[in-house]
Amino acid sequence: MIRSSQMDHSFVEQVQAQQGGEHLLTCWSCGTCAATCIVRRYEPAFNPRVILHKAGLGLRDEVLSSAEIWQCSACDACYPRCPKEIHISDVMKAIRNVAIEEGYEGPGPFAQVDEHKCSGCAVCTRACPYGAIDRVTVNVDGEERTVARVNHDLCLQCGVCVAACPSGAMSLEAQSDTELLTRMAQDGWLQRPRFADGGGDAPRILAFVCQWSIHSSHEWSELQSLESDSLRIVNLPCSGRVDPEMIMLALTQGADGVLLLGCEGGECHYKRGTYLGRSKVALLGTMLQQMGIEAQRVRFVEAGSLERNVLPLAVGAFRETLCALAPRQQALEEAIHG
Amino acid sequence: MAKLKLAVYWASSCGGCDIALVELGEHLLELAEVADIVFWPAAMDFRYEDVEAMEDGSIDVTLFNGAIRTDEDAHIARLLRKKSKIMVAFGSCAMEGCIPSLANIKGADYGLRRAHIETPTTENPTGELPRGSYAMPEGDLSLPVLCGQVRTLEQLVPVEFKVPGCPPNHDQVWKAIQTLINGEVETSAVAQLLGVDPRTVCDQCPREREGKIRVKAFLRPHQVIPDPDKCFLEQGLICAGPATHAGCGALCIKANMPCRGCYGPPDGVVDQGAALLDAIVASLDGQTDGEIRKVLGTIVDPVGTFYRFSLADSYLQQMKMDDDASGRVCASQAEEVTE
Repeated sequence: MIRSSQMDHSFVEQVQAQQGGEHLLTCWSCGTCAATCIVRRYEPAFNPRVILHKAGLGLRDEVLSSAEIWQCSACDACYPRCPKEIHISDVMKAIRNVAIEEGYEGPGPFAQVDEHKCSGCAVCTRACPYGAIDRVTVNVDGEERTVARVNHDLCLQCGVCVAACPSGAMSLEAQSDTELLTRMAQDGWLQRPRFADGGGDAPRILAFVCQWSIHSSHEWSELQSLESDSLRIVNLPCSGRVDPEMIMLALTQGADGVLLLGCEGGECHYKRGTYLGRSKVALLGTMLQQMGIEAQRVRFVEAGSLERNVLPLAVGAFRETLCALAPRQQALEEAIHG
Repeated sequence: MAKLKLAVYWASSCGGCDIALVELGEHLLELAEVADIVFWPAAMDFRYEDVEAMEDGSIDVTLFNGAIRTDEDAHIARLLRKKSKIMVAFGSCAMEGCIPSLANIKGADYGLRRAHIETPTTENPTGELPRGSYAMPEGDLSLPVLCGQVRTLEQLVPVEFKVPGCPPNHDQVWKAIQTLINGEVETSAVAQLLGVDPRTVCDQCPREREGKIRVKAFLRPHQVIPDPDKCFLEQGLICAGPATHAGCGALCIKANMPCRGCYGPPDGVVDQGAALLDAIVASLDGQTDGEIRKVLGTIVDPVGTFYRFSLADSYLQQMKMDDDASGRVCASQAEEVTE
């Protein structure tokens, strides 16, 4: 039950005064946004309609202290579908701005800097799609040094900085290098011989999958059942989180090919993550080719927001490509003597 | 206390690492007080037979520079390993392959063909290539034979310490030698780095980093005179500083040249090229695939740029092949079998 004493119209005015917050009261609570929202797959409690409604009622404390206002990733999947054309992620941002002004902080986990390892090289500050990382001069163990610092109000946990950091100074809970490597190698998957070396019944594929590129809950729930000896799936917060070192490690061990599934250009939930993921795979492909290794062993596949069942299809096509590659030994001999 | 016995060897190297030792200057005199140099072909007249005559384990420390590229390199590496208590992969070649290992991109046979037949300035009508032995009237002459692949010292024999750098900075060399002669570091199963500073080159780089500048194209050093006070990456020059271990004191950077990466990967990184690739991609500007492709197209020779010093010791190399697969079995492997 909502008591009128909880309703504080000054909160509504505060939100409306923020850039993007002016449309707060335009919402008529139809729920189309909630129906299209992808965040709900991970955070069932997240419901943009409810947040806007509560904010519109002026429930200041309830809204500002809720974890949900920090969960919108500003992907804008709801924006083109809203019949009132409300830019909901902007309204969310306005609400968050009020929260920050009043001293609230999101629940995280945020990217973390290990100041002992950080060289202040500024790679992460350039990598971050949100400009959430700055460099500050602080005293580390009695020495004045410039190191990276993450602004918790802006960090959306995409993990792009973790991949970019060459010093291993950046980490993100549940997405650290160690955790990803553990998932890759689970049950000895990486240690088994490649198809090209006579192992398994089909080319063994390691698929890194951006969590936003699977667009239906049904597919999401089916994802793990796709796994087999010839397919290992590792979820990433964003395709930009992929680390070329991990791709190469997999290829030196039990993987015949590595697939990276990301969102279509322009639909990335973290603005530029897709481009980063795609660029890394492209550059890696160029290097493999330069070395005389088949560049087809790495592949980036994009999933448009309206496409379904992309991963199984992409894996199927990739499997065919890998099958068609001449057996490794033979290819090498051709490369050398040809 | 008995004087230490010190050996220095050059395998496939340019000689720069030996120069780095000579650059110790007056410290060489201090070194001579505590150590006898029992083998140093670049500086004094020693024979392999001298080493063969030594007792196993009688050399205290061997500073081994140069990559393993020929059967001679491999033979001497094994020999010195047997004779030495502590083996140090000294310099980038011995530690991670360095420039010689870029030959692995195309392989040994391609290199021979290119150098001895195909280059426009070569005249070789009979297509003669170097062979392992030549029957001459005076007797059989032999040449070292190229292995299929350039390797690091550690890929051949166990190594206790590694000193990176092309060549290692002489101040760091002295620090490393002092550590070794004072026995300050316990050896362990995994080779340890000596002669480095914590973190990466960026930690020692005095240049201004704005922090948010991304670039639309990469230039090569000869195309521009860089601003001496600004981060190279923010000026569109590929600088390996972020993915390179500190230790050199940012020497190249102070000479207005981007870091090329000779001090090897930072702690915790295996594949320096992959780490650099990630750092470079992060500083790309571009919102569309077309734009990104255009920027990537301006990176000339990515393998040579990202793995200039570390190709032999990289995942990329591991993916390629080994001697056996190339059909070119290095004589050193035959030796290993007979041993």
